[in-house]
Amino acid sequence: MLITRRLEFSASYRDRKGATHGHNWELEVTLDGPVNPETGMVIDLKELKEVMEREVEARFDHRSLNDDTPYFRDRAPTPESFAELVFALLDAALPTRLLHRIRLSPTHDVTIEVQR
Amino acid sequence: MIRVIRRYEFSAAHVLARPDWSEARNRAVYGKCANPSGHGHNYRVELTLEGAPDAGDGLDAIVRERVLDPLDGYFLNREVGGFAGVVPTAENIARHIWDTLAGAVAPARLSGVRLVETSNNSVEYFGSEPTP
Repeated sequence: MLITRRLEFSASYRDRKGATHGHNWELEVTLDGPVNPETGMVIDLKELKEVMEREVEARFDHRSLNDDTPYFRDRAPTPESFAELVFALLDAALPTRLLHRIRLSPTHDVTIEVQR
Repeated sequence: MIRVIRRYEFSAAHVLARPDWSEARNRAVYGKCANPSGHGHNYRVELTLEGAPDAGDGLDAIVRERVLDPLDGYFLNREVGGFAGVVPTAENIARHIWDTLAGAVAPARLSGVRLVETSNNSVEYFGSEPTP
């Protein structure tokens, strides 16, 4: 069973040419796990929401990926490298191998998908 | 391989609570969704069909008869037989829809049921887990 939760946040970044981009990022986090027979749920959505807020929103919302986070000190971010980072942060925070896929959209026209 | 994805909507009330648990335990597990008065959603159902997608004539009638009419406008826990002993979480509703339709769409084959509960959360089921 796949279960998906969505989050929007705003963040800017400077690309390798020095141009600054700002977006309302849309993030879809999908878990793949068995349904707990006792609760009828794969995961408590509140728990998933808290993980997403702690690992993504608290780190990146209304921040510059280059200047306000430690992840892009030695390389300029791209939507792709940012998506890989978001996947790794969520994967480390969630129960083992529960994370299946993330979709990260800097705009409505572009989506980066990272799948296990 | 060609697939057809068909979308439907229904509205229903539910409460996430097990009748064999205390209200306090239900609140601890299901949070505000355990409010005994119930609450409702406008559910979106996305069915994915494979195999003989042009044989979908009548699909709407099958879905209306088996899924939409029995669920639309009802309080799932109290008024829909399939949820008498099953907590109507999004996961369990998706499995219920799968179980209701999987044998009824031949010669097409049901390959996925996606249930969108709110703009922020959805589940997708591919028929691989037994229903409790």
